[in-house]
Amino acid sequence: MFGKVLVANRGEIALRVLNACKELGIRTVAVYSEADRNSLHVRFADEAICIGPPRPSDSYLNVPAVISAAEIADVDAIHPGYGLLSENANFAEVCRASNIKFIGPPPEVTRLMGEKEKARQAMKKAKVPILPGSDGVIATVEEAQEWAERVGFPVILKAKAGGGGRGMRIVRSAEELPNLFNAAYGEAANAFGNGELYMEKFIEQPRHIEFQVLADEHGNVVSLFERECSIQRRHQKLIEEAPSLQVTPKLREELGKTLCRCLKDIGYQNAGTVEFLMDEDRQLYFIEMNTRIQVEHPVTEAITGIDLVKAQLRIAAGERLSAILPAKLEMRGHSIECRINAEHPVKFTPSAGKITAFNVPGGNGVRVDTAQYAEGVVPPYYDSLIAKLIVHGVDRNEAIARMERALSQFVVQGIETSISMHQAIFADAGFRAGEFDTKFMERFLAKKTDKECAEVGLQADER
Amino acid sequence: MNPLNPEDIEDLKQLIEFLKENQVAEFELERGDVRIRLKFSGPEVPGNGVSDLASLLAGARAVPAHPAAQSAAAPEAAAPATADPNEGLHILKSPMVGTFYGSPSPGASPFVGPGDHVAKGQVICIVEAMKLMNEIETDAAGEIVKCFVTNGQPIEFGQPLFSIRES
Repeated sequence: MFGKVLVANRGEIALRVLNACKELGIRTVAVYSEADRNSLHVRFADEAICIGPPRPSDSYLNVPAVISAAEIADVDAIHPGYGLLSENANFAEVCRASNIKFIGPPPEVTRLMGEKEKARQAMKKAKVPILPGSDGVIATVEEAQEWAERVGFPVILKAKAGGGGRGMRIVRSAEELPNLFNAAYGEAANAFGNGELYMEKFIEQPRHIEFQVLADEHGNVVSLFERECSIQRRHQKLIEEAPSLQVTPKLREELGKTLCRCLKDIGYQNAGTVEFLMDEDRQLYFIEMNTRIQVEHPVTEAITGIDLVKAQLRIAAGERLSAILPAKLEMRGHSIECRINAEHPVKFTPSAGKITAFNVPGGNGVRVDTAQYAEGVVPPYYDSLIAKLIVHGVDRNEAIARMERALSQFVVQGIETSISMHQAIFADAGFRAGEFDTKFMERFLAKKTDKECAEVGLQADER
Repeated sequence: MNPLNPEDIEDLKQLIEFLKENQVAEFELERGDVRIRLKFSGPEVPGNGVSDLASLLAGARAVPAHPAAQSAAAPEAAAPATADPNEGLHILKSPMVGTFYGSPSPGASPFVGPGDHVAKGQVICIVEAMKLMNEIETDAAGEIVKCFVTNGQPIEFGQPLFSIRES
């Protein structure tokens, strides 16, 4: 096992990793920017090194600074957390060249999964279902019609050169295709200087389902079941749960086996998450893979009883999955996580500043992962996540009741938080019944009355 | 309640002065039907009126800091009202994490020493990071007063390296 590990991250995940290290008897080194001088991850590490000024590019994303800190502290390994440098293949390579173990997959695998088209091809080869689409750019309207026939309406045309909704058109029938094709082409050419389009099957009301995997460095891969993360706003997840009510035991087992085979073939190592969209017929389609630990990993930990971060450390230290995991993995109960953000619950504007009161809920089946505390400061330079509130119950009903109880006892003053927004979601009949898809938040927020918006000065399109 | 007469008010003023001089924090007096209670706000101490955890953190961060930071006089740490030896001096802080070297190569004489005059932009030390020797230039001209670190010492971003009396 490693003697010393540097955590190349900040906030709640840095503390999470530190906790796992401490419990394994590993000495910990924290790095921090000047804005995080009084952070908990700094306070509770065995050693801490300031690596730069507040801006991420000058500190947490500054590879030479992080590596230099690892060298002067003489660490054995670096855990990159999530975000920041965690999926940066260059960083993983520099670690390797500097003789520091990077806790994650090899750089080549990270790079493969980072290239969307290559990842799709790798999955397709392994018979993992992928979203049907054109093989690359579509040159003419005629070609587009052919592809649409093959893929099946509705389809979406997307700009090769960009995103953000520009150069995108949803086509629901052959009649409207020519006009929409030309419109998308023109818009893309205008926005990105390149009008080239490709096509994908369009799912009207998709759900976001993802599978957690662990792979050791001896060719063994295991699936730790799925999570559903359909409650999102502008592609940012707000609520995650495990398991998904939509995934049948048969689907879970079959897809789990297929994924393990695929990832073994590409030489995957350590923790990872494979993301899918599910259509109205409960068909899953691969969209991408995240080659790191994820924010919402605690819900999987709750239903399986496995400490995923410890597993990462042990895998990187060379242990086999057979030593880390029980012979038969089982799911118990239902778990839900709410991401508590430092932002206005209605306007979603970020709320940096000093926390004056911080009461964290506890009790049976409640877990809070946070690096904040009373009199702590939320700096304006980083993402707004300040706490993850996770509950576990014997079933989804108990989990919901537990979350409502815990949310009502989570008191944060001095900054705005999304706690009241989460409470409103949990009171929603559709959410409670498990009837939602990735458009849920759009519809939910549109229900806000004009009066409510006027009260907080929100424009109609800002919901 | 009977209003205080002028003599009583004088007495009270003198009492307050006396209490202040002798740094009494709280005082209570009952005489007849008069009751006086005085409470003085204390001097600004780090952590005053703030939870223990925060004061532990906001106060002197002498705690599990990397040895590099501990040996330097971290100026941001709450230094209670003692005279600041660096007052009026310009502090050159490290722009990067790495290992400090005072000379261009092992065995060579140091770039600068106390008393030396330096021009702005002059190289006064090296910080090694990832096997690269980075020459560090002063951002001020003047006389080197003190060097806070030793040859071969690991240092962090922002760590004070030299104090310079600007001229």
